Amino acid sequence: MSANGWTTLVVFLPPALLIFTVFVALPMTEAAWYGFFNWNGYGRPEKFVGLKNYQQLFGNATFLRSLVNNGLIIAVSLLVQLPLALGIAMMVAGRIVGAAWFRMIFFLPYILADVAAGLIWRFMFDGGFGLPSLVTGALGIAPYYLLADKTWAFSAVLIVTLWKYFGFHMMLYVAGLQSIDKSLLEAAEMDGASAFQRFWHITLPLLGPMIRLSIFFSVVGALQLFDVIVPLTGGGPFETTNTMVSFLYYFGITRMRVGFGSAVGVVLFIICVTFAFGYRRIFMRDD
Amino acid sequence: MTEASPIAPPLGATLDTPAGDRRPLAGIVLFAALIVIAGAVLAPIAATALNGFKALGDLQTHPFNLPQSWIWANYWDILASVRYWQVLGNSLLIALLTVALTLALSSMAAFAFAHLKFFGDRFLLSYLQLGLLFPLATAILPLFITVRDLGLLDSYLGVVLPQVAFSLAMGVLLLRNAFRQLPAELLDAAMMDGCGYFRYFFFITLPLSGPILSTVAVISFVASWNGYLLPLVVFNSESRYPWTLGLMAYQGQYSTSWQLVLAFITLTILPAILMFLVAQRYIVAGLTAGAVKG
Amino acid sequence: MTLRKSLFVAACIAAFSAPAFADTNVTVLHVSENPAQRGLWEKIAADYNASHKGVNVQMKYLENEAFKAKLPTMLQSDSRPDLFYSWAGGVMQAQDKAGFLKDITADVATVDQTLSPTAVDAFKVDGKVVGVPFEQGEVVFYYNKKLFEKAGVKAEDIKSWDDFLAAVKKLKAAGITPIAVGAGEKWPMHFYYSYLVMRLGGEHALTDAKAGKDGGFKSPAFVDAGKRLRELAALEPFQPGYLQTSHAQSSGIFGDGKAAMDLMGQWLLGMQAPNSASGKGLPEEDIGILSFPVVAGGKGKATDTLGGINGWLVSKSAPPEAVDFLKFFSQEKYAKEAAASAAYIPVVKGADASFTNPLFKRLASDLAATTYHQNFFDQDLGPSVGRVINDVSVAVAAGEMTPEAAAAAIQEAADQQ
Repeated sequence: MSANGWTTLVVFLPPALLIFTVFVALPMTEAAWYGFFNWNGYGRPEKFVGLKNYQQLFGNATFLRSLVNNGLIIAVSLLVQLPLALGIAMMVAGRIVGAAWFRMIFFLPYILADVAAGLIWRFMFDGGFGLPSLVTGALGIAPYYLLADKTWAFSAVLIVTLWKYFGFHMMLYVAGLQSIDKSLLEAAEMDGASAFQRFWHITLPLLGPMIRLSIFFSVVGALQLFDVIVPLTGGGPFETTNTMVSFLYYFGITRMRVGFGSAVGVVLFIICVTFAFGYRRIFMRDD
Repeated sequence: MTEASPIAPPLGATLDTPAGDRRPLAGIVLFAALIVIAGAVLAPIAATALNGFKALGDLQTHPFNLPQSWIWANYWDILASVRYWQVLGNSLLIALLTVALTLALSSMAAFAFAHLKFFGDRFLLSYLQLGLLFPLATAILPLFITVRDLGLLDSYLGVVLPQVAFSLAMGVLLLRNAFRQLPAELLDAAMMDGCGYFRYFFFITLPLSGPILSTVAVISFVASWNGYLLPLVVFNSESRYPWTLGLMAYQGQYSTSWQLVLAFITLTILPAILMFLVAQRYIVAGLTAGAVKG
Repeated sequence: MTLRKSLFVAACIAAFSAPAFADTNVTVLHVSENPAQRGLWEKIAADYNASHKGVNVQMKYLENEAFKAKLPTMLQSDSRPDLFYSWAGGVMQAQDKAGFLKDITADVATVDQTLSPTAVDAFKVDGKVVGVPFEQGEVVFYYNKKLFEKAGVKAEDIKSWDDFLAAVKKLKAAGITPIAVGAGEKWPMHFYYSYLVMRLGGEHALTDAKAGKDGGFKSPAFVDAGKRLRELAALEPFQPGYLQTSHAQSSGIFGDGKAAMDLMGQWLLGMQAPNSASGKGLPEEDIGILSFPVVAGGKGKATDTLGGINGWLVSKSAPPEAVDFLKFFSQEKYAKEAAASAAYIPVVKGADASFTNPLFKRLASDLAATTYHQNFFDQDLGPSVGRVINDVSVAVAAGEMTPEAAAAAIQEAADQQ
């Protein structure tokens, strides 16, 4: 490489690497280190406890519940949100009046901050004057507090994530549909293929890369969900609506159990990285 | 997908699909269905904005009606308050600093990765890519301690620098791919003319990469504007709160006056909605393109 | 570098780094949202600054949750405050153990003699004084006199837990929500659990549990307290959706007269009006005070009190002026002002005479006559065990957890420390 090239390299690369190392790579390494200590954040970590934090973690019912909750979000994302997004994408990708407006409306929740969305829905679910009150009021029965119902409160979280994120996936599918060569579909129609056959044999396979991408983002996003939980349920009632990150926040940070919280971070990190690498290797090789 | 085709169609553009748009009845059913879904999507936002105009009693008795009397004061009082403009100003400052630094650092690094071959380049690139898989929350505790050790607690930089660090992976990846797709002849010709890498970067690469730079800018701007966890742990003084923290603080303070909280929500999400209406093409393109190419 | 050049550089550095008059700054970090309290403190700081040239005392506010989350790291940074708000208890002990607190035993020996001994003791770690208290509180049942009357309940007749349960039933029968509680935030429910432990186990219940005596937190006092709490909750005395209600909301419910009682600290009196839908709340003459009833067979007395003890801790690096300011702060004259304006209940002896507000007067005289004053359990135990107490209080009340399992959960958290 030329001298000019070296100078460029020395000027251009280090700033990014430095910032990344200091604020991303090192903290993660430190989290792994703190995870071996019983530390309340005062002084330096000194009480080495080996794997005890991890042992406690996997014996902790609330943490296990948060794992299940993350799994539920993933399941709803994949089984409800993605088909819904695809269906709506097919509707608004067509030559229907106002298609562009519909696309915009459906995308709108995605640009709102999670905290705002969480608060808006906390209001919507309030038993005294939210959506449930419409029903209970009309029937003349006692108000129903969804967010205080330990069996169903988590469905509120699922509804909010669905509301907030389906538009993003819809837009991915719209982009995917746009890139499909129309002559293929026309040819199939001329050969007498039904609408379903055209969808199943042409559109869906051609959308493959986009679907795989959409699944990837659903899962990674679901694993990291936090901002919605704080204003919506705060993890309650009875810690039934925590995600891994809100568990980390409420049981690590606010209780000053830095070592324990760091162990949660490490588990989350391992899950994310394993999924991301595995998924990319298996499903996204060709994309 | 090629660079030439924009990811999201512009407002007003329509596309052909297999859906039977040649049958009017199906079209009407489809349209009606879309109206219903759109209503369901917009209802919470509309309810928020409308209930912000009510008196508390009205809100409690008729939450889904129009206000009995429109209490404009709910909104005016917030608009006339310092805290509203302060939280928006803080968010804007933080987001702009984040975008500027992200663009500067990631375009330089991406340029190095795109055009310079050096020992360990692939390793360093995948090292940076780790940031893509890495949720900020997992290391929030050590990150907080790092920020503290650097003396950046309660300062704008304490939020901006970590945000930049976390957008670098995405920025470098998107920009490197884009830079590599610029015709190689351009670089060869420039080198022949004795134009060094620096001048090539500033006078050819950057001007030709407008769209992808704006994509990176949009993604990092939106992430910063909506950020909550990081400012939550870094800021102590309310005078530095971005709007997300300001909203939660306001909610904590007026938790029993839902009408005020709803008015505050409406006013704080308003800038994002307005920006979205004005620049929806770039925002949608940016956010989805970032996803597709990342 | 030539000599002249380096002199120039040194001069420049000096010019930019040293202000003309080197003021000693004393930062005081607090979490109070009470305007009367804040106003008084600002005034004390201003008085001090005016009479002490070269010292600048600054009061700084941080929101409660943010304060708790950030203090550990702030104390290790350069932005550490010189004096900071404390609830005493487990957190203070951890701070001391980590070496962040100054031993001020000798400095404040004379001041401490003028203060309530229980409050002073709360700010000692292993016999050494690390802070100075300024206020004490008491958790009591505030009740709505009109609703009690409507249901035919007489507050004077409620002496025992059984009387109390009977009153709850009576209120319910009259169609009145007996109790407002902000269980969404959990800690309001732990007041019930704490008081029951105190009434059942007496003065030593908590200290013994911490020391691991008699099964620690699995002792009969804790298990039985859980049973009693569940016994109350089984009557469904709380407002609908109480598991989701915030503390501010429940204060508003009480202020709107939609519930007859609220077991709460003295700050409820300042919160019930602004959080009510009407914005006016209950007039103070309609509010009565009822001490937590005694439990038959329990070791605790009706005059044992539960309530917060708040004070100022001095950080290790604080200048001597910080301690001097604390002495200035603890003067009787300011305590009397606090009492006269009902800003808070000061710990300075004799200040309770200055209360004009009858409700505050009652609390102050309770505290002056206390047979044993207990700090909030969650503060006393520190954040990790304290939060577990809060969690299980709600879970037991709602019937989600057996009293035995709750006691075991607290013990487990204590073992993990």
